[in-house]
Parts: sequence; structure tokens; C-alpha cells
Amino acid sequence: MSVYFPQKYLPYLLLLPQLLVTAVFFLWPAGQAVEQAFYQEDAFGLSREFVGLDNFIELFTSPEYFASLLTTMVFSFSVAFLGLAVALWLAVMADRVIRGAMVYQTLLIWPYAVAPALAGVLWWILFDPSMGPVALALDAIGLDWNHFVNGDQAMILVVISATWKQISYNFLFFLAGLQAIPRSLLEAAAIDGAGPSKRFWGIVFPLLSPTTFFLLVVNLVYAFFDTFGVIDATTQGGPGQSTTTMVYKVFNDGFVGLDLGSSAAQSVVLMVIVALMTVIQFRYIERKVQY
Amino acid sequence: MSDLVLQNIGKTYSNGYQAIPSIDLTIEEGEFIVLVGPSGCGKSTLLRMVAGLEGISQGELLIKGDQVNNKEPADRDIAMVFQNYALYPHMTVYDNMAYGLKNRGVAKAEIATKVSAVAQMLGLEELLTRRPKQLSGGQRQRVAMGRAMVRDPKVFLFDEPLSNLDAKLRVQMRVEIRELQRKLGTTTLYVTHDQVEAMTLADRLVVLNKGHAEQIGTPMELYLRPASTFVAEFIGSPSMNLIPSRVEQGKLQLSVDIQLDCPHVSAQSVMFGIRPEHVDISPLDQADVPFIVKAVEALGAETLVHGVLQLGDGNTPAFIVRVAGHHHFEGGETLGLTLPSQAWHLFDAQTTKRIEA
Amino acid sequence: MIENRPWLTVCSHLVLLLGVFIVALPVWVALVASTHPSSAFGSGSIPMWFGDQALANWQQALVGKEGQASDLLRMTVNSLIMALGITFGKILISLLSAYAIVFFRFPFRSAAFWVIFFTLMLPVEVRIVPTYEVVANLDLLNSYTGLTLPLIASATATFLFRQCFMSIPGELVEAARIDGAGPIRFFFDILLPLSRTNIAALFVILFIYGWNQYLWPLIVTTDDAYYTLVMSVKRMLSVSDGDIAWNQVMVSTLLAMIPPVLVVIGMQKLFVKGLVETEK
Repeated sequence: MSVYFPQKYLPYLLLLPQLLVTAVFFLWPAGQAVEQAFYQEDAFGLSREFVGLDNFIELFTSPEYFASLLTTMVFSFSVAFLGLAVALWLAVMADRVIRGAMVYQTLLIWPYAVAPALAGVLWWILFDPSMGPVALALDAIGLDWNHFVNGDQAMILVVISATWKQISYNFLFFLAGLQAIPRSLLEAAAIDGAGPSKRFWGIVFPLLSPTTFFLLVVNLVYAFFDTFGVIDATTQGGPGQSTTTMVYKVFNDGFVGLDLGSSAAQSVVLMVIVALMTVIQFRYIERKVQY
Repeated sequence: MSDLVLQNIGKTYSNGYQAIPSIDLTIEEGEFIVLVGPSGCGKSTLLRMVAGLEGISQGELLIKGDQVNNKEPADRDIAMVFQNYALYPHMTVYDNMAYGLKNRGVAKAEIATKVSAVAQMLGLEELLTRRPKQLSGGQRQRVAMGRAMVRDPKVFLFDEPLSNLDAKLRVQMRVEIRELQRKLGTTTLYVTHDQVEAMTLADRLVVLNKGHAEQIGTPMELYLRPASTFVAEFIGSPSMNLIPSRVEQGKLQLSVDIQLDCPHVSAQSVMFGIRPEHVDISPLDQADVPFIVKAVEALGAETLVHGVLQLGDGNTPAFIVRVAGHHHFEGGETLGLTLPSQAWHLFDAQTTKRIEA
Repeated sequence: MIENRPWLTVCSHLVLLLGVFIVALPVWVALVASTHPSSAFGSGSIPMWFGDQALANWQQALVGKEGQASDLLRMTVNSLIMALGITFGKILISLLSAYAIVFFRFPFRSAAFWVIFFTLMLPVEVRIVPTYEVVANLDLLNSYTGLTLPLIASATATFLFRQCFMSIPGELVEAARIDGAGPIRFFFDILLPLSRTNIAALFVILFIYGWNQYLWPLIVTTDDAYYTLVMSVKRMLSVSDGDIAWNQVMVSTLLAMIPPVLVVIGMQKLFVKGLVETEK
């Protein structure tokens, strides 16, 4: 577009609300986090002293932080992988059936609307060691389920809850991606003698790769930042530290442990991670524009 | 008083690019002026400068004697018809036409009268409650014109308004626009890259090349006496044949072998031009120059013969001959051509300007 | 379908039905659990079929038990205020800023764009402690402003509107200017009507986002006059004596998820459009 309104001051007025909110609630806190990361404050907030990089050094030499990093990785990649696999499978099936695809879509997408915390509560009751039907069924086949005690089981529970909510999102994008593949391409492959599974791995899956990559990034971001509610409502980071992700640790160290310096340093580390992810996402968007 | 005056108008973009160096143009009341030229020649920029959608870097723009350089488009008393019509998609035809009047605070009853008068003139009465999406291309075009007409402006501006229509509709709308403009008598500035449109619509044409006016004149002036090789090639279809040659001792030397009498022009290197329709086919022994047929386009009413002139020494410039009616020629056949001297155009090879005999 | 293989189609339906079943299972259990007395949750599996306490449980949640009025209504209102506040706030400030960025040229335009873009990198979860401190300093704890305002800056919504505005042909702006419409008229007469579906689609997405806020209301509200539905479930779970009233928890959970789920199902088309567009 080459035509713009000539007013000189109006655009600043229009931008003002957004910039104000951004400055007060985004930039200021972010700056405070950066500043705080270089200070050590006592638990009562009465005094603080400049400690340079001590908070970061402490963080990166703390086995607990690395444990939470590992937990975050295991959690995020499990959620992303599981969510993508299940959603892709369902989307391929929904793309196959001519009748009812829309009905299935309706029946599969609503969990998107459920708050992560509620998703956690819903699955908790299914897996509750003393009364959850799934937990009791597992006990019956000799698998002793108690996610309040067993860290791996706690992890499985939060992964399932978080994935359950995200399947709907992935499903929609995969279905749209599948429906965008030209029929003629598949027909040509069928005439060339490729059966359904050959067609899927040889044609459909490669053509979906942009969608898959995009969803992978979105799912990782989701698992990183939007799953706080799932963990807080079910395991609260436990047992031990087994489900304490980095985001949960920021909250826990800041509000429960009141170790503000460390929490701020962790915030800074997370901001760097988000920045990296945003750059990756942006690259992807740029590439998409080029096509 | 002249209706629209462009005095030394120029446009330089902030990055230093000079789109239009300087143009002078005086348009009389009721005149239909067409700006024509290839894409990128600055014709749309010039139109948009008149509209007020582009700033004017230098010179003065006068509408009915008022300097309007820095006026908002809405305050210039102009109306514009856009290439893609630019109809408001969410408004009905009526609202589209009424919007400009509403913004000017015209009373509702008056708006209704004006819109229905214009709708009647354009045959849009039945469509007033429809939205642009429900209209055909030709109908949208009409609504766009109606929107310009209800305002009864001093100047109409058209920016390639027919380029999105199919060929048949284009011809029909062309005639319609011409008739309407005559009837309303509104001064009109019309931009197109289509020379047929330009020739058929214009009272006067402005041929633009790289931001400057190559020639301003009536269609026939441009056809009969093109001021430069650019105009010569641009006006007329197929284009004028142009062959580099020399004039020496009263002879036009197409080559060493082929020399034609040319008494009034002094020695210089020239571009020799002749329109395809002004060439005669004659027996080889009476002809000025031999011509080898490469391809024939028979259009029924006329036949276009593409080929090369045989000028000797391997000099074989491409040449087109246009013959009325249907004729049969074989590819590879050699024809004789006579080039009547009253149909010649001579241009200076350096400046490309016309040499008056 | 390329080949006609009926058994493959049957297979597909079976897989999809299994998917639907698994997706729905927890809600089924929650629904069933909400119909039993709290004694049903002491030992052994929770029942898989409806009990007879449905009326009592739901009545208690909706109306309140004897001598104690239900705070459901208040929480619902709070949730609505928060969700709608965030939704309208985000849409409003994003519309305005996208309008400025697309339709005007002014110094520091790209700086403003990058500041907004920067907010993409700072989800509230990441900077939770300092944001809390800022809100506390501004004396906004336990207020609707504190619940909504910090969450309404949104790069995503701004980008969506920017995308949408950029697809509006320049000729339309020119026509409007010639028709005498200034920037304010253009905004209301042309831009808003043309962005209607985008606004509606975004509304659906943002409403869900706002309604489901959890961590933020949890830390900025200590006064139960400002509790929201979603966070209240968490408070019911962390009772000190350890005896969780599961039937009531399930009623609350279902109540808290009903509004956004209804929105998604009722406005499926807009929802899908909103999701796909915001990720462009």
C-alpha cells in the first residue's frame, strides 16, 4: 500500500494505550527481573546487595536447576511428540472418512477450551491411586500406580493431561494441512501403484512437514509456558522435584521460597529461551511468506 | 478560463528518484485528456498527483484557477474511478454512491435525488440495494463511475478503469464513457496503457515516456505526425516500421543498393519510418525494395504480413506490411514493396525527434 | 477416497471413535462423579454410572447449602469480567495500534512495532515475580484492573489485525479519502465493518484465553471477592485436612469449563478461523 493518512500526531495517540500497557506491565517488570538477577535480597525484603553474576553462577552450578531443565525437556518433548502423533493419526483418519469428518472435528476440538488446571484435575481423578478407575485397573494388572509417590508416574500424569488439551489444536492444523493436499497428487500416486501407507509416508507426510514443524514449535512453547496450571493443580512440582519445570520453579522459588534473586535470574534465562524460540518461529513465518 | 492547469509539475521521491521531471499541460473545460504510455512512464503518478493522493514536489496545480497543491483530495472537487473500482465491499450500491455526499454533510433528501438521477443515467436503478460482490464486472464499473458522477465534480480522474474487463465489455464501456463525458461536459483526465482506448477516447493525448511528455496532441496529429520514434512506435497497431538509414545528396539510402529520392532533407543519419498500412505491394521490377515473407496473419478484414526487407549485404531488417482484405502469401515468397514518399516519417537518429521535410 | 476399501473406512471410524471416547472419558467420569455423595469417594473405584445425589450436589454449588450462600454467582461474574475485560481490552488496543502501524507513516514507527513484537517474548509466566511487584506497587492487587490490565497487551492480536489491514486494497483508502473520509471516519465506516469476522474470530480465542487464566488471578487475588471459577477449583483441592470433596470439585470443574466449551462448539467456524489466523 502506498497511501497513508497525513496526520502527524494521531498515530502516536493510537499507539499510546498498547505502548503504555507494554511498558508498564512488560518492559518494566522485565527490566526489574534483569536488575534483580544481579542482587541478593534477604527473605524479608529489608536489604539487598549487589552480587554480580552470583545468582547465575549459583543457578548453573545447582543440580536442582539442571534437574528442572531436564524435567522441562522430558516434559515438553513428550507432550509435543505425543500430541503431534495422536493428532496426526486422528486427522489422517478424519481426512479419510467422507461422512462425519465435521462431526468428529466438533467432538475432538472442545478440550482446547478447557483450562489447563481443570484438565489436570480431570485426569487426576482418573488416575487417583485410591479411587481412580484407570489407576485401579493398572493396579489390577500388577502395575502399582501412585503418582503422589512415584516421580515417573507423576510425570506421565501431567504429560497426559497437557497432551489431552493440545490434541485438538494439532488436529485442526493437521486436518487443514491434509485437506490442502491436492487430490490429483494422491490419485497420480495411486495410479503409479502406491498403496495407502506408501502414499502417506512418501507424499502426505513430506508435504505436511511445514505444518508439522510449525506445530512442533507451538507445542514446545505451549508445554514450556502454558502448562503451569496442569502442574500446579495436580502435582505441584512433586513428588520431590520430579515435575518441577523451569517455569514452575520460577514461581515456586519466587513466591514460595522467596528467593527473589534466583527467581529473577531464572526469569532472565527463560526470557532468553523464549527469545530464541520466537526467532525460530519468526524464521518459519518468513519462510512461509516466501513460498 | 482553463479548467485544469499543470505548470512545471514534477515528482521526486524521498529516495531521490525523479519520477516526473517537469510537465506543462493546460486543459480546457470539458476536454477529455488521455495520459498514455507504457507501464512505469509516470502516467498514474501524474494522475494521483492531480487527485492529491501523491504529493507534488515542484510546480503548480490549478483547478479552475485555484492553486490546490496542498489541498486534501476531498477538498479539490475531483472524483476518481479506480482500476479495481475500489467499491466499499460492505456497503450497498446506494451507500457506495452516497458515501462521499454524506461525508460532505449533504442533506439526505438531496443525496437520494442525486443518487437516483445518476443511477437512472447508468441503468443501475435495479441494483441499488445490492452489494458489490453480487455485481458483474461491468456493473461494478458502472457503480464506480456513478460514485464519481453523483458528486458532480469539476474534474473526473480515471485510472485504467477498463483494464479488468474482458475485451467485448471493454469496447462497450469505452463507448459509454465517451458518451457520458460528452453529455456531462466534465473535464476528464484518463490514464491507460492501451493505445486503442487512448485514440478512441481522447480529445487530446499526452504520450508519456519516462516521466516526460513526448507529445501532446489530438489522436490524428499523433498518428500522422509523431514527434519522435517513441510516439511513432507507440501509436498505431501494428507499430510503425523503423529502419536506420542515411540521407545523402538528396537520396534516402536504405542501403548501398537501395536509394530513394529525398530532396528536402540534408545529410544525416536518420531513422526511416513507414506505417505497415502505407506500404504497397507491387511487381518486383517496379518495386522500391524486395521483401521476404516469413509469416502471415490473415484476419479477414486485413492481412498482416511479417517478413524481412532484402537490403543487400546481409542487411535484413524486420518489416510488417498490412494489406486490406484477404490475400494469400506463401512463407519464403519474395514480394516487391513500394514505399510512397508522402507516407514517410524521418527521425533524427541521435535525438529520435521528427525531422520536418 | 482413492481406492474403495470399505474395511479401511470402517477402521478409520473405529480409530476416530476411540479418539472421541478417550478425549471424552475424563469429562464423563467428572459428570458421573458429580452425582454421588462425597462418601462414594472414600474407598474403591469411583462409580462409573450416575448416582442419586445429582440434584443435591449441583444445587449446593449453584444455590449454596443451608446457611451459606453459594459464591458461584460471584465467581462466575468475576470470571466473566476478567475474560471480557481481557478480550475487549486486547481487541481495542490491538485494533488501534495496528491501525496506526498500517495506515500511517511516522517517525519511530518500526521502533513501536518492535516494542510490541517484544511482548511475544515475555509471557507472564516468565516474569511473574516482577510483574506481581509492579502490580502491587500500583496498588492494583485485588482489583479487576489488576486482574485484566497486565494481560491485555498482545502482540498476536496486533499482528493479526496488521495482517488483516494490509490485505485491504490501497485503492479503498484512496477512494475513501476522495470521498472526504478522514482517518476517524475511515476507521469506523470502512475498517471496522471490513474486519468484523476477524474481530469475531479473535473474540472467541481471546475469550477462552481470558476465561482460563489461572496463575495470574491466583497470585493477584487474596480477597475472595475477586476469585474466579478456574482458580477456585484449585483452592477446593488444597484444603488443609486433606479430605477433598470430590463431588463438589467435579461440579465446579464442569461449571468452570462449560462457558468456554460452549463458545468453541457454538462458534466452531469462527473459532477455527481465529486459531488459524492468529498463527499466520
